[in-house]
Amino acid sequence: MTEPVPATPDDSTLVCIRGLTTVLNGKTIFDALDMDIPRGKVTAIMGPSGTGKTTLLKHITGQMRPDAGEVRVDGRNVPGLSREALYKMREGIGYLFQNSALLTDFDVFENVAFPLRQHTALPEVLIRNLVLLKLQAVGLRGAARLMPNELSGGMARRVALARAIVFDPQLILYDEPFVGLDPVALNQVLKLIRTLNQTLGITSVLVAHEIEAVRQVADHVFLIANGKVVAQGDPKTIAQDGSPWTRQFFGGEADGPVPFQYPADDYAQALGFAGAAK
Amino acid sequence: MSARAPQGNNIVTQSLAQIGNCGLFLLTLLAAIPRSFRYIRETIRQLWFVGAMSLTIIMVCGLFVGMVLMLQLYSVLSTFGGTSASGMVVAVAVYRELGPVVTALLFAGRAGTSITAEIGLMRATDQIDAMEMMAVDPIAYVATPRFLAGLIAMPLLCIMFCAMAVFGGHLVGVTWLGIDNGTFWSNMTAVVEVHTDIVNGVLLKSLAFGAVVSLIAVYQGFTTPPTSEGVAYATTRTVVASSIAILALDFVLTAFLM
Repeated sequence: MTEPVPATPDDSTLVCIRGLTTVLNGKTIFDALDMDIPRGKVTAIMGPSGTGKTTLLKHITGQMRPDAGEVRVDGRNVPGLSREALYKMREGIGYLFQNSALLTDFDVFENVAFPLRQHTALPEVLIRNLVLLKLQAVGLRGAARLMPNELSGGMARRVALARAIVFDPQLILYDEPFVGLDPVALNQVLKLIRTLNQTLGITSVLVAHEIEAVRQVADHVFLIANGKVVAQGDPKTIAQDGSPWTRQFFGGEADGPVPFQYPADDYAQALGFAGAAK
Repeated sequence: MSARAPQGNNIVTQSLAQIGNCGLFLLTLLAAIPRSFRYIRETIRQLWFVGAMSLTIIMVCGLFVGMVLMLQLYSVLSTFGGTSASGMVVAVAVYRELGPVVTALLFAGRAGTSITAEIGLMRATDQIDAMEMMAVDPIAYVATPRFLAGLIAMPLLCIMFCAMAVFGGHLVGVTWLGIDNGTFWSNMTAVVEVHTDIVNGVLLKSLAFGAVVSLIAVYQGFTTPPTSEGVAYATTRTVVASSIAILALDFVLTAFLM
């Protein structure tokens, strides 16, 4: 069951969302959504396609502004931040894009070095060592001089992860990190998420559909649908929550609260049989 | 940064909205110039791509434009014995109109399309969003260096185009058709004025065309829908909009500068 959310978060909460309301093209994506993401944990955000999981990540990073409500990251109200303050905040956030989003003009080494070169005046030798350190952590030190088009999907994801952690962020957001990966690459990414969380104490938020992977890596799961959190809890027990949403989502049922049919006009009328029914 | 999509069905309304958004985008670009100074290496790299890499097509086209212009003029002027003036007419036509206009049209086709396609693909593959997430301003890092590179490259390319066109005219007129070398150059230097023809014609016009083409190319890249079809349409729009803008602006500039 969805537990009541306290009005003010304590220190154990890194991301606090209150009354988040977003309407896009006339469709309500979030309807007064409340959520607390705990510090130092791996939190998974799940839900049917099109429920706004990636949009939620964009609200956390300030890429999108809500129509109403608050999104606080480490106490800062993101929608109210100036551009400079927003960029400063983002230096402490790593973001793993669904398609890795590596800069195609640069090789692996330069991709990982890019944030360091833009935001620091570190000597070249230090940049080199830091980049190699991060590439070693994701197992790709040997691929430092490969171009992005020479990498497999799993390797590109790991390079993007090395780039996301190059500043040792306090928060990493993973947007569909397991999509399109073979079992080996998927397990490698799973292991990396868990290791980074445990060794560096990074708060991780991942948007994913892979139920088994989420069970292995997440400490807490939010299930969002219809613009609200419809269930949350331990990933191993949330499926027994008993609500129709969890039953359909974790049971993989084709029909339920999320309808099989996209809303449409009357079927008989569309086929021209409306008169025959009389 | 993404500009607002034009609303409404009326093509005039849509066009006006596009022009308005493009104007706002220009203000954003200009405001980002001080921030882009820290990416000076990126500006130089873009200058290489849009300037140096366009040099071959500009020089070859300039040569042939000069050659064909001289051929046509010689044929017309020979009917009333005025062939000695053909070198002068080639120079005036190239400096005042053909140089800046043809260079700009070629620049839009060669460099403008590549700028739009590159930025459009960067958007489609989330590279622009990734920069935003790494706290790197994509307007200052991606858009402004390309805009400045186009602005700097266009006058230089136009000078090369004009030089090659005059050389082509000389090649056909003097070497092939037998116009006297001294007459060719003396008539040209007697008529061509530095302020009217070189500063107003070559430099000012090409600077204005460089700004317009670069602005359109960067704007189309940044506002393209992040799909392969969107990038294709944006690339086409860059050529179409740039060509119309160049010719319209040429008329306006000529009317004011004459």
